[in-house]
Amino acid sequence: MIRLKGITKTYQTGQVSTPVLLGVDLEIAGGEFTAIMGPSGSGKSTLMHIMGLLDRPSGGSYLLDGHEVCDLTDDQLSVLRNRKMGFVFQAFHLLAQATALKNVLLPFVYAGPYPTDAQERGRRALAAVGLEHRLSHRPGELSGGECQRVAIARALVTDPDLIFADEPTGNLDRRSSYEVMAILQGLSAQGKTVVLVTHDSHVSEMCSRVVRLVYGRIESDQRNPSPLSAAAMLAGLPPEQDQP
Amino acid sequence: MSRFSRLLREAARFLWSSRAYTLLMMIGLIIGIASVTVIYELGAGVRERVVSIMSGMGFGADAFFVSSGGGRLGVRRPGGGSRTLTPDDAAVLARVDNVAMVVPHLTLRRDRVSHRDLHTSTVIFGVTPDYGAARRWDVSMGRFIDQQDESQRRRVTVLGSATAEELFPGQSPLGQQIQVGSVPFTVVGVLEPRGGVGGPGRSRDDLALVPLSVAMRRLAKEDKLSSIRINVERADNFQDTVEEVRQILRTRHKLAAGVPDDFTIVTPDAVVELITRQSRAMVVMLTFISAVSLFVSGIVIMNIMLVAVSERTHEIGVRRAVGARRADILTQVLMESVMVSVLGGALGFGLGALLSWLLEWGFDLPTAFSLQGSVLAFAFSAGVGLLFGLFPARKAAALTPVESLR
Ligand SMILES: Nc1ncnc2c1ncn2[C@@H]1O[C@H](COP(=O)(O)OP(=O)(O)OP(=O)(O)O)[C@@H](O)[C@H]1O
Ligand SMILES: [Mg+2]
Repeated sequence: MIRLKGITKTYQTGQVSTPVLLGVDLEIAGGEFTAIMGPSGSGKSTLMHIMGLLDRPSGGSYLLDGHEVCDLTDDQLSVLRNRKMGFVFQAFHLLAQATALKNVLLPFVYAGPYPTDAQERGRRALAAVGLEHRLSHRPGELSGGECQRVAIARALVTDPDLIFADEPTGNLDRRSSYEVMAILQGLSAQGKTVVLVTHDSHVSEMCSRVVRLVYGRIESDQRNPSPLSAAAMLAGLPPEQDQP
Repeated sequence: MSRFSRLLREAARFLWSSRAYTLLMMIGLIIGIASVTVIYELGAGVRERVVSIMSGMGFGADAFFVSSGGGRLGVRRPGGGSRTLTPDDAAVLARVDNVAMVVPHLTLRRDRVSHRDLHTSTVIFGVTPDYGAARRWDVSMGRFIDQQDESQRRRVTVLGSATAEELFPGQSPLGQQIQVGSVPFTVVGVLEPRGGVGGPGRSRDDLALVPLSVAMRRLAKEDKLSSIRINVERADNFQDTVEEVRQILRTRHKLAAGVPDDFTIVTPDAVVELITRQSRAMVVMLTFISAVSLFVSGIVIMNIMLVAVSERTHEIGVRRAVGARRADILTQVLMESVMVSVLGGALGFGLGALLSWLLEWGFDLPTAFSLQGSVLAFAFSAGVGLLFGLFPARKAAALTPVESLR
């Protein structure tokens, strides 16, 4: 699915150039649930933005489904993001003035033809994250965990192959984190490729693969044959425990 | 649903959810377009009223006036200064080819008129029997001045309805005597009320008509006229006839070449010329006011849009992440600024039309609704939105998705 070869990224700010990625080789197969870990500033977000076509690498090659994406135009990248990818951010990034359903339907504004069953798909996506009863709530009227689940619904409403999540549990308590992870594990089980950036080793233990990035290079890449089940962890939490 | 209409809906949502910004952006345009609309409709109304007054005077395409005194229409009041036209001038002009009718006329200074112990002051016109027909004036009682009155110099008068009411409240003036200055006259008729304003602080029904011959001999004490009204037979020879009249009068008044006319010829064209000259000045002023107000509104719109764009940096990043192209962002921001300005322009035009209507209704100022004006207001405000939205829109679309999300 994803094949990165010698990916470099250097930020240029005036005279100062900051090398962030120093040559990353990484292959991610379809259906894998990959966690990217590493110290702060090691370039995890940068790498994820490049894989998510939100940013371009300074050098190297990126084959997505066997096609080189570094040569594509801005508009072509937009179309790929719309059709194949969904994003979940640490800060949720929901539209504050729009209802949960309107937020979830946002990708359809930019879809080629507008699907006739868009509303229905939006409702189903919200039901898939357990928010069928919050359709017309605005982000200000939802908890942090609910906001992040709306964001996940937005990421999966177009039924993309790839889901990118940058510290999706970073702002959430333990229970909400497990809820989010349970949803992402479910998506992975459906065959979607999920790439997740996290600092939390609890979270990474729920992934099938853990890539450790240190100072712009991959330091380790480990398979996890038996990831923890988030659903089971959730069931094991004492009813009122809300400590992170 | 097309992509265009989806973007339009997103733009409308923004304007609705940021109502405070929307209102701020519109307010300049509303005020600017409203005031321009009021001025424009007032101007159009004045023009309409002048045209209707002219046609009410029977001043159509087949008539013109010769006034005593030189000067140019609109610069010096025609008929002001000393009187230079004579009844003989009128008699000669009546024989000119293509002249159908000649109506001489004498306007006297406002004078005191009285009946017993009631008195008022009014304008006295010396007129011939043709005058009533030429100006389409009818009597509501009695009769108009006739040929015998004129040739026998009878001291009779036809009063305007307002003057009649002042001197004879609640009774018929017919057959009664009035004094004009020290000259006694018998009232033979009263004019139909015409309503409206005939001059500063004066009703159009405040006047007294007397036979021209009496006006010259007994009141003005000179055989001179204020003006001569000339009807032509064939309108296609109008200009030739005007020129011929001018030459005859110059010869009769013994004006050497190079000496300016001591009379003024007032043609319908000249009146229209005068009005268009004044309205052209108004158009220049209006254009200037509109340009300034549109420019200021545009700057306001641009700045608020810039603020709104930078506040929505993350939102733009999210839209880009879920598949918006640069062009989608650019289009949406342009739609927002065009929508807000068209809405402001429409509200401004509506407000202006309402104010004009109130002016007409409350203060009897003439106004005229103008479709052309509404189209212009619409086009210009759309233009402002497009022009001043361009910079914020480009700014919004310039960032890459990561830059917007950071
Ligand atoms: N636009 C930029 N210009 C210059 N330097 C940048 C820019 N964006 C990121 N960096 C630098 O690149 C480095 C990697 O940033 P990145 O956000 O990828 O780190 P990260 O691994 O996600 O860290 P964290 O765990 O704190 O989120 C950081 O040192 C950061 O300062
Ligand atoms: Mg990061």
